[in-house]
Amino acid sequence: MLVFILKRVGLGLITLWILSVIVFFAAQVLPGDPARSILGPLAAPSAVTALSHQLGTDKPVIEQYWTWITHFVTGNPGNSYQYQAPIGPLLTTALVNSLKLAAVAFILVVPLGIIGGVVAALNIGKPLDRVLSVFGLSAVVIPELVSGIILILIFGIWLNVLPIEASTPPGSSIGTQLYHLILPAIPLVLILFGYIQQMARAGTAEALASDYARTATLKGLPRGVMIRRHILRNSLLPTITVIATQTGYLIGGLVLVETLFHYNGIGSLIYNAANNKDFPMLEAGVLTIGIVYMVATLSADILYSLLNPRIRYQGVE
Amino acid sequence: MATDDRELDALRGKSSELENHYIDELAAGRLSRRQFMRKGAVIGMSTTMMGAILAACGGANSVGTSSASSSASASGTPTKGGTLKLATQAPSAAVNPLTVADAGGLCMLAQTGEFLAFDDNLALQLKPMLATAWKPSQNGAVWTFSLRQGVKFHDGSPLTADDVVYTFQQLSNTKNASNALSNLGGVVTPDGVKKVDASTVAFHLEAPNGNFPYLVSSDNYNAIIVPKGYDYGNWQKTFIGTGPFKLKSYTQNVGADFIANPTYWGGAPHLDSTAFTFYTSQQPQILALQGGTVDVIVQFVAQGAQSILNNTQYAIISLKSSNHRELSMRNDMTPFTDPRVRQAIALSLDRPGMVQALLTGKGQVGNDSPFAPKFPSTNTSVPQRTQDIAKAKQLLSAAGHPNGFSTTLTTEQYEEIPALAQVIAEAASKIGVTIKLKVENQTDYYGKATYGNSDWLDAIMSLVDYGDRGVPNVFLESPLSSGGPWNAARFHNKTYDGLVKQYVAAVDLQTQKTLAGKIESLLLQETPIVIPYFIDGLTATTSTVHGVNPTALSAIFLKDAYKTA
Repeated sequence: MLVFILKRVGLGLITLWILSVIVFFAAQVLPGDPARSILGPLAAPSAVTALSHQLGTDKPVIEQYWTWITHFVTGNPGNSYQYQAPIGPLLTTALVNSLKLAAVAFILVVPLGIIGGVVAALNIGKPLDRVLSVFGLSAVVIPELVSGIILILIFGIWLNVLPIEASTPPGSSIGTQLYHLILPAIPLVLILFGYIQQMARAGTAEALASDYARTATLKGLPRGVMIRRHILRNSLLPTITVIATQTGYLIGGLVLVETLFHYNGIGSLIYNAANNKDFPMLEAGVLTIGIVYMVATLSADILYSLLNPRIRYQGVE
Repeated sequence: MATDDRELDALRGKSSELENHYIDELAAGRLSRRQFMRKGAVIGMSTTMMGAILAACGGANSVGTSSASSSASASGTPTKGGTLKLATQAPSAAVNPLTVADAGGLCMLAQTGEFLAFDDNLALQLKPMLATAWKPSQNGAVWTFSLRQGVKFHDGSPLTADDVVYTFQQLSNTKNASNALSNLGGVVTPDGVKKVDASTVAFHLEAPNGNFPYLVSSDNYNAIIVPKGYDYGNWQKTFIGTGPFKLKSYTQNVGADFIANPTYWGGAPHLDSTAFTFYTSQQPQILALQGGTVDVIVQFVAQGAQSILNNTQYAIISLKSSNHRELSMRNDMTPFTDPRVRQAIALSLDRPGMVQALLTGKGQVGNDSPFAPKFPSTNTSVPQRTQDIAKAKQLLSAAGHPNGFSTTLTTEQYEEIPALAQVIAEAASKIGVTIKLKVENQTDYYGKATYGNSDWLDAIMSLVDYGDRGVPNVFLESPLSSGGPWNAARFHNKTYDGLVKQYVAAVDLQTQKTLAGKIESLLLQETPIVIPYFIDGLTATTSTVHGVNPTALSAIFLKDAYKTA
């Protein structure tokens, strides 16, 4: 198991390095330059030259990359070109915010999705199954922007029961922060519910049709016990994969939700960095998401093997 | 309106030649009372002096300053205390007075920083701020500013001429990453900024400039005065300035809090504090105002704001501005080499309809010259161009295109511009011209912003945005004069260049107006560019907010602001 994890971590580091190279060179292809995006399109050329020199963006591309990576591996992500401020605090704040929002969304959607899937599978082909599946699949295709605006109008302005701003004043209690995150989390719940519900439904249906389920039923286990002990455990496996693969989206892909609910998350940070060719910020942001994503998939793999003894220690023995 | 000649003569005796010229213009009725106030302010006449002259000319004692629009003017006794919550565009880069170029950043600068003069967009008048008075030399090539006494920076140090000289030397230095160079470049160099004595600074200009005070006012948003030797790169840690509010905290991408400066030279503000929240788009700001999270939206555009525009719960402050869209046609590329073709395109447009449809009426019709209705020098006797499809077709035929032609219009994804491009293409189709649209993101569109490296400057037809300025100088020079850096139309006209040079140098309003008339007529005749409209600056507040003073450039001044229960 340890060897398996070490191997994965090693591979992860190589992946991250390749990612940093790709991001760097892809960013070079993007039009525009940092000094011009700071000074605006109508700035005097002399001012742009002066600022480029100050930022170091007039140096050769390879030299810029080398400077950046040598600092980065020693734990110094450097200064943002755009904000002229250290990246560390900017990124940490945004990452913590994104994790909070993702956590709230997960806490809401995972039980809902699994229950929805299991209930649908138990009623397979019946109206309840149809209703759940159609709702789930329809919700997946509603863009966050649309559901978000509808939610704000209904709950934030018309009924006035939930705050429409995800941000809370500094020093707010955890309770207040969670309260502010409910509304922004719902569009994410709507999008993810369909995925998780469908996976859980398929897993449950498959387990229900299996030999061991039939055996369990025939040996006289009560239905509730059978579902809890035998079905749920097996139907959860694919669900974990879905959750792990959606982590990247939930942490870094929420630009629209962050904008709409006015939330300072990592998605908007990376989006702005890419737009302004703020290269150190872009690299740091993308690598952070990469790390989060890898940790998530690695945890999923470990969890998977714990839940499924058949694949445990596969790579090792 | 009876004129008291004796009183007026006494006042004339105390006035300079230029001031006397304005007094003559006023007495002769060629200058309205309001214009007199505006022009007098530019050349540095004191409000008391102007009031006395207006009174002698048989007027009421109303002096310009009380003409602010009702939604913003203070009604009744101001309420003391409280925190005003404002929504503003997030600064898109570091808040550094030298480099700031965006709406959010310049709004931050104006919270704690102050300028030599204040271009009050509500009163449409240039007012003293850190300078109490200013005077031009005979030909307008040297301007001398007297500084206010007893002004202190937030760290307690006094404001002196050295600070002003340092500020403008940094801003006008081409070795610096100064955004103010787009205003000061070619106008003044660091060597031209001179200390006369501890409270007087003189600007020796590269060429006479009649509207120079605007370039050291809040219009030139980078020009807040900083202490001598101050490192601009550190400014966002302290926000040091002389203004009515001091920095409490600034958090990138999140917001900024300010507290009242009790020792402000103009007296402490009514509010205890202000709290700005940063947004990256408009819709959440409108929702925040509706949901009660903020009291003020510093600046918004009419598109997508219908829910607050027609709602009595909110006060909308609408400012005339020179913010506009410019459609350029390459004068050196067929078929636009023929002025008749360019005129035909301009004649196909229904301008009032565009203002209504694209700006929900919050704008002024343009006449294909940068002379916006808000500029006092704009010559309104030049006839307004209106839609005339028959004449447009006739011009096209005469130019050898009886069946029209086909071309491409390149533009940027910004505010209502893609919709405007669509409207232009539809209008052109009525005279047989087929316009294909190419809408790019702003980075691609502007490119390197130099000839040969920019779709904006190189496209055969190009539609671009120009932000508000207090005077038309930059609009007249950069995009239209032969040596201009943004001449997307490749318009080269010696007569025009000469007229603009004279206009920029002219110190008195009548000369400016005469020259403006000539420039406007010439541009109508040649039509290198089309300016369909000027867009009003819009600020929204809840009905309990009073006394805010926004600018069309998206700054907001809150010294006199207060909130009623």
